Amino acid sequence: MSTKVLVVDDSGTMRKIVIRALNAAGFRDTVEAGDGAEALRVFQGGDVGLILTDWNMPNKSGLDLTRDVRALGSKVPIFMITTEAEKGRVVEAIQAGITDYLTKPFTQDALQAKLEKYAKA
Amino acid sequence: MKVELVNPFIHATTSVFRTMLGCELTRGQPSLKTNHVPEYEVSGLIGLTGKCQGMVVVSLGRDTAIAATEIMLSERPDGLNCEVVDAVGEIANMIAGAAKSQLEQFQLSVGLPSVICGKNHSIGFPSNCTPIMLPFDSMIGPVCVEVGLSEAVTVRQPALAAT
Repeated sequence: MSTKVLVVDDSGTMRKIVIRALNAAGFRDTVEAGDGAEALRVFQGGDVGLILTDWNMPNKSGLDLTRDVRALGSKVPIFMITTEAEKGRVVEAIQAGITDYLTKPFTQDALQAKLEKYAKA
Repeated sequence: MKVELVNPFIHATTSVFRTMLGCELTRGQPSLKTNHVPEYEVSGLIGLTGKCQGMVVVSLGRDTAIAATEIMLSERPDGLNCEVVDAVGEIANMIAGAAKSQLEQFQLSVGLPSVICGKNHSIGFPSNCTPIMLPFDSMIGPVCVEVGLSEAVTVRQPALAAT
């Protein structure tokens, strides 16, 4: 899978868990960012075909990252992985332009199943 | 502290350990916390604000924290290092987040986690709440979750007199 995937989370542990699942789903090209501001810089560097992001992070949240990426006119799929599970928050994220949503805690199988959908796309 | 505020943290802790660590927890007897010293050496702290406010502390022993990190990362950390600190912070974050989603009526926001390591460290909860200790046991060692939440006081602004 040649798609470059940007993994955004302020927890290095969570980034490792997500990258392990990405590798298992066939994604080999991954880049990491520790917050939304760093992620936006990486994204603007070009070539990113999928973004997996946390919501609550220092400097810039995943929600603001999503709004910024959409404001640039990009249709790149943005997959949010977050503890924010309330209906109102999910609606807020959809309105900001996310493509998919998974709440923490999650099983490796649940994450894998979501990622395989993008691997086939 | 009201039971309706505590139960979501019991469910959230059980769910996070089962889902992320494949680890079943056995509940012990809850009790009121009367001192500032967490049960174990590693504490993940996270603040909650909204119609209730306070803090959650996830307290783990050194070996338990290392074992939890090993399960999450699929590799053994080299002692109580930054990977363990990060993993404990993420566990606290997930417990607080999962509990928050069951307390929708309080419109809570979760802060970013902090982690404190060291024997006999102290953590002060807000003075208007007495935290409840929720002890658990597991195959990787004991875990204690301390929850201190109180309903936020609404301060009414005095009406301005017409001049």
